Amino acid sequence: MSDNIIIETRSLTKIYRTGKVEFKALNNVSIKIKKGDFIALMGPSGSGKTTLMNILGCLDRSTSGEVFLEGQNLSTLHDSQLAEIRSKKIGFVFQTFNLITNISAIKNIELSMIFAEVQRSSREAIALELLKNLGLEKVTKNLPSELSGGQQQRVALARALANNPSIILADEPTGNLDSTTGLQIMNLLKSINKQGKTILLVTHDSSLKKYANRIITMKDGEVSEHR
Amino acid sequence: MIADVFIMSVDALRSHKVRTFLTLLGIIIGISSVIIVTTAGDSVSYFVQGQMNIFDPTAMLIGVGTASDPPRISFTQSVFTDNDVKKIQDLPSVKNVAPVGVIPLRKISIRNGLLKWENAPGGSMYASAPEMLDILKLEIEEGRAFKEGKNEIVVTKTTTELFGKDQPLKIGDTVYIQRIDSKTIRAKIVGILKESSEGNVLTQLTTPSILGPTDPFYSTFIGSNVGGILHRITAYIILYATAIDTEHVDEAKTEIIDYLNRGSDASKYKKEKYDFVIVTQQYIIDRIDRVMGVIKMLVTTIALISLAVGGIGIANIMFATVTERTREIGTMMAIGAKRRFILQLFLYQSTIIGLMGAILGVILGASGSAFVIQVLNTYIKDLGGTAFSGSIALNFSLQWFGIAVIFGVFTGIAAGVLPARKAAKMDPVVALRYS
Repeated sequence: MSDNIIIETRSLTKIYRTGKVEFKALNNVSIKIKKGDFIALMGPSGSGKTTLMNILGCLDRSTSGEVFLEGQNLSTLHDSQLAEIRSKKIGFVFQTFNLITNISAIKNIELSMIFAEVQRSSREAIALELLKNLGLEKVTKNLPSELSGGQQQRVALARALANNPSIILADEPTGNLDSTTGLQIMNLLKSINKQGKTILLVTHDSSLKKYANRIITMKDGEVSEHR
Repeated sequence: MIADVFIMSVDALRSHKVRTFLTLLGIIIGISSVIIVTTAGDSVSYFVQGQMNIFDPTAMLIGVGTASDPPRISFTQSVFTDNDVKKIQDLPSVKNVAPVGVIPLRKISIRNGLLKWENAPGGSMYASAPEMLDILKLEIEEGRAFKEGKNEIVVTKTTTELFGKDQPLKIGDTVYIQRIDSKTIRAKIVGILKESSEGNVLTQLTTPSILGPTDPFYSTFIGSNVGGILHRITAYIILYATAIDTEHVDEAKTEIIDYLNRGSDASKYKKEKYDFVIVTQQYIIDRIDRVMGVIKMLVTTIALISLAVGGIGIANIMFATVTERTREIGTMMAIGAKRRFILQLFLYQSTIIGLMGAILGVILGASGSAFVIQVLNTYIKDLGGTAFSGSIALNFSLQWFGIAVIFGVFTGIAAGVLPARKAAKMDPVVALRYS
């Protein structure tokens, strides 16, 4: 395995069972993600993209097959080790922003640093720096409900970046935003990618293809890649 | 980390102020009601005991009746003789004994001038030995105690106003006491009792308005035929006695009962169905304590139930909160929260509610107790108040803070465990999809 491969999956299979009905969400998925990649994971809903993202993001486990994150086999880890990997190596960005509603923007960012056991003294400075870089220095103390959708998604992006993760997993990050704001977020992601951050973008919006350097398409739990 | 969880928990509670307040209220009411009931009960108990202590704690009342629990003295049979009094006086643990004869009066009269008489209705008079004043802790304010064999009486302040406030009876005045059997006896007032000793729970029941020596006022006789000749012997309905000290009350009691049952005059005259009965001061205090204890236990049970209901309230609201925040729980897990953090987050919230409820409950309990006692004091005065002297003092124990905090925290933890576990066990994928 070459050094610049961040994630590798081998014959990843995920089967959901509801009663006697089996549904194969992932079928023999083997992919490699290199450091600095901006991957667009595309496909219709129900194709298995979110399942793949959840497994890559250590939120879910595969039924069979293996996942390696920076050379570490995730299938053998238990819950609290997975939580630690999520906090330190993965940054999530969701379609619905998913900020914690009862705490301020800056505290939302600090929260992810609490989970990564970052020293209390440095948390605020890091969070402020991130907010400033994303043009949010005026709303640091605001509650999520007092922010616009674009602002909320930028706070979420700052939260994802706070622990300097190996990869950002963005699940339809523009899905709840108007086109102008969506564009801003995509440009932000692109600039983050240019600074060397690996990004996996899950979307079914084909207009976002242009931001990615690789496009992986899913259909019925199977992947195919085209340039 | 713990400080961070704590701050997060406080933030979560603050973001739902009304909900938090209402949940708190359940605990506050539970804890404060336990405190109010127990504190008020304790205060009243101490107050009553204080009243009792005005009366001699070594005192005993000896009579015939039913030796049940509580013992009942029947005031229908006069059986104790002067000989019995003498023998009881000689018992080692007995300090003093005085016979008491109750003399029902028809009227009391004074002479106003040579031929003018003024009459007042008479109540009852106690005939006894001068020691009785000591036993009953009756203090003489003016004058002195009556003497045996003399036509002398001691009266209460109220009795001096029998013929009107404008012409109070004075030391040295002569009154004419007419007994129910129409015999009239002249009596000179030699002492007036102190006001304060007229008014407390027990002496109120036992203090007559007039006290005098058995000779010449008392004449209740019982007869016995000895060789065909009827002997008439003076007999008393009850005896007052004191033990040499508070430690010897029980011994004195046993000695007296032993004597009475074996060869006393009283055992000959007593009806078969009656027992000798001794009511001690301590017994009365114990009785009051027991009644108080039962009331306190009852209300404490109710209060504990209300605390449990408060706990159920916390559990209920925590379950609702966990369900409501399902997606946030999923999000926190996605950004790296361990299950332990989620567990602590919700457990802290319920514990904080329990703790705050306890602290506020103690504060409300303390002020509530003060209020209740103030109301009780007003009531006592409204009731006429002659039966009580002084007022109830607040007897609030600072230990309540510790006890309440322990109970509150325990309730909070107990109520939070299930909801917090539910939150911590969530599957992040499912939780994130929740809407």
